Amino acid sequence: MNQEQRLELVTKGTVEIIQPAELQRVLEQKKKPRAYWGFECSGKQPS
Amino acid sequence: MHIGTGLVCGAKIKDMVQAGFHFIIFLADWHSMINNKYGGDMEKIETAGEYFKHCFTALGLTEDKVEYVWASELASKPNYWERVIRIAKTTTAQRAMRSLPIMGRDMKTQDVETASLFYPCMQAADIFEMNLDVACAGIDQRKAHVLAREAGDKLRWEKPVALHTPMLMGLAGIQRSDKGSYDEDPKLSSVIAAKMSKSKPENTILLHDSPEIIEDKLRKAYCPPKIVEENPVIEYYSLLAFRANNPVTLDRDQKYGGDLKFSTYKELEEAYKTGEIHPQDLKANMARILADLLRGVREYFDKHPEPLAQMQRLETR
Repeated sequence: MNQEQRLELVTKGTVEIIQPAELQRVLEQKKKPRAYWGFECSGKQPS
Repeated sequence: MHIGTGLVCGAKIKDMVQAGFHFIIFLADWHSMINNKYGGDMEKIETAGEYFKHCFTALGLTEDKVEYVWASELASKPNYWERVIRIAKTTTAQRAMRSLPIMGRDMKTQDVETASLFYPCMQAADIFEMNLDVACAGIDQRKAHVLAREAGDKLRWEKPVALHTPMLMGLAGIQRSDKGSYDEDPKLSSVIAAKMSKSKPENTILLHDSPEIIEDKLRKAYCPPKIVEENPVIEYYSLLAFRANNPVTLDRDQKYGGDLKFSTYKELEEAYKTGEIHPQDLKANMARILADLLRGVREYFDKHPEPLAQMQRLETR
């Protein structure tokens, strides 16, 4: 996978990136960049 | 877990893993407690967290592909709360109040617990504590990420890139009557208000719903003929059915014209606008597509019924 394909894969389906230039730098400079997604743990219970 | 979390977030996480990221799925138990899930009962929250872990595993995000971290692990580290306070000093209580939508709450809520003001600061602290390059979330979380980036600038901590996915609309579509205030931008506010959410079961398709239940829920979904704007079923084609960039076939009775094949979402959208596709056919096929996408999850929980059973016991108590 080249850099362009990597960037395309990462940005696929997103509605906002803050900021695209910074993301590009992360992909260029880091071999194994770190990312996360946080989830509250709950079921059907209303909050 | 509903299909917004499983299929929209899940797909994006898979992209990131494939792109070579070290990816952390963060089970925010402390944050759930602050947000009064299960009345703040940490034991129930932990059960739900384990269930979430199983759901993601069922979707292919196994422990060799992603790292699972609990908020309580971070909260027990000696410097975590110092981080939270340092971040809290970079922002105001008013700003924290305006971040309530990240908790699924209206910005104008009165009598907010003080702990809710810690929430966005904790979310920011989590990001810096885990030394992240990119923070991913649905667009409804953007206020937390903007706050974190500003804190990073002020504290001279390396700020994360923020990456946001769209909200999946609930089955009922956008309710004009919902006067909730979830963002300064009224369009974004109504998108956040309309999101698929477990607190409205009739509005939500769950990962482990049977094909029959999925069909039934979709049959009742809002789906006006020829109209694609704010049409949840159409949106599911855009965000879910065509995500793999493969053509999609709508099965249709010969007497109504036979099957229709679309190479792109745009083609389907155009056909729907002209009335070439009947809402009934749109819905029935989305039910089939979703059932296919979720087959692996059902098979997983057939083999590992216990975490799902535990969740269902929680729901009925």
